[in-house]
Amino acid sequence: MNRLTWILRLLAGGIFLVAGVLKVLDPARFAADIDHFRLLKYFAVAPLALYLPWLEIICGLAVFAGAWRRSALGLLLALTIVFIAAIISAWMRGLDIRCGCFGAASTAPLAYDLLFDVVLGGVLFWLLRVEGRPGSPPADEV
Amino acid sequence: MSSTTNPSCAAICRQAALLLALALVPALLTAWLHPKRPAWNWTRPTVTELVLADAERLTPVIWVDARPDEEYAAQHVPGALSLNEDHWDELFSRFLAAWEKQPDARVVVYCDSQRCDASRDVAVRIRHESGLQIRNVFVLQGGWDAWLEVHKP
Repeated sequence: MNRLTWILRLLAGGIFLVAGVLKVLDPARFAADIDHFRLLKYFAVAPLALYLPWLEIICGLAVFAGAWRRSALGLLLALTIVFIAAIISAWMRGLDIRCGCFGAASTAPLAYDLLFDVVLGGVLFWLLRVEGRPGSPPADEV
Repeated sequence: MSSTTNPSCAAICRQAALLLALALVPALLTAWLHPKRPAWNWTRPTVTELVLADAERLTPVIWVDARPDEEYAAQHVPGALSLNEDHWDELFSRFLAAWEKQPDARVVVYCDSQRCDASRDVAVRIRHESGLQIRNVFVLQGGWDAWLEVHKP
């Protein structure tokens, strides 16, 4: 169980770390990717394109830091739920776009991204549960 | 740091707020220093759309396929050049070489359908990266779907 938890933490944290770094390389492109969803006015798109990748990187790193893990996992789960909602919304409106989840490396159709995010959300949710309830003994000591 | 219990709800919320605030610092530096930072005053660029019948009347014309490589490889408008953002540098130099042979040509960019943005993005980028030398760039209304509807195999 501990080994599985460790591997899943590594995967979840690593995925957000890589996704954040790839987007930080070209924030203008990420802004265009967000704009393609046609959900936000552009005045909100540019700040989001600058901020979101760093939030992913910082939370991705914090997943590996014991004391910060729960808050990082919670934020990443919230982000993933927002991503899933945005992808479903684009899908329902028939938009033919890429999700931009991994910056320039995003080439898969939206359906694959949706599946990926649902699985990732499941993993994050499971990791949060493994962490135990706030105020209870930490998972590693259970 | 050793602890005997998990952080409380309040501590977790404080940490989450701190993580949210911490991300602001590099984001602000990115906004200030990154060479590829998005423009604050950006507005969605307008590109003239052409219906297929009008696009087919243009001469000389360079057709540009903005779809992914595999879709271009499967089928494309006869004579169209592939130019997508996945391999931009390599494909754009090929496109420029073709355009230099007929600099008076109009350029018509298409992607999958009416609902894709790739053709608009590629059209804007062609104009921008050619230093506005290539001005007659259009987007095919309805994209590849519109082409297929008229030229059913």
